[in-house]
Amino acid sequence: MSASQLTGLRNPWLQVAISTLSVAISELFQKRGAVATIHISEAWGWTGLTTLASPLVWLGMLFTIVSFITWLYAIKHLPLSVAFPASQAVHVLVPLSSWLILGERIVPLRWCGIALVLCGLALVARPVAELEEKL
Amino acid sequence: MTFLMLLLILISLACIVAGQLLLKRAMESTVDRGFRQRTFGFYISAGTATMAVSYFLNLGLLQQLDLSYLYPFQGLTVIFISAAAAILLREKLTPMLIVGSLLITAGVVLVSVS
Repeated sequence: MSASQLTGLRNPWLQVAISTLSVAISELFQKRGAVATIHISEAWGWTGLTTLASPLVWLGMLFTIVSFITWLYAIKHLPLSVAFPASQAVHVLVPLSSWLILGERIVPLRWCGIALVLCGLALVARPVAELEEKL
Repeated sequence: MTFLMLLLILISLACIVAGQLLLKRAMESTVDRGFRQRTFGFYISAGTATMAVSYFLNLGLLQQLDLSYLYPFQGLTVIFISAAAAILLREKLTPMLIVGSLLITAGVVLVSVS
């Protein structure tokens, strides 16, 4: 079955989007959880294991699992050479959400990088739109 | 920054690329034959194991190198995966796709170094 015939939740593009969004969400939860557990133990902090005391970290893991499963579904139906570049939207989502939600600062050079990724994504998405039209 | 570090970075990148190709193969095998078959089991375990190797190599490298130094290399995976998909999986690369992937790579590197 071609990718364009799969509609609704079964649309592989929607699954790429969910997968990428899930990666970004899991990063945010893990960052919040990691910061919240700094005080627990200085001796064991470097292992990352102390972050498990935070429910936010577990929530982050849940989103990591969701991203993995949706990714597998997506590449079942899409060429890797299109799906993987598209998944790099995460490099836009993470800095943007760190800025909006966590209040982190974005330096001008990083804004340039975000703009470049967006241009690249637009170009990658175009052959896909043409492909879908032909079908 | 030693030769060994660079080698480990390259191995880690190669594992990501190989892992994605193996996962793709695993999922392709399910199109006709479903999940309860050997090919899927082999490729999905090999893919997951390879991804795990790259994950731990990366953690090990992080102990030695700055994140801002290590992370830009991640951007290169886009180029390597597209090339590998074209050569090994016979996927068709359009000029638009190549330029787009190169822009994404450049962007990811910029986001990571800044």
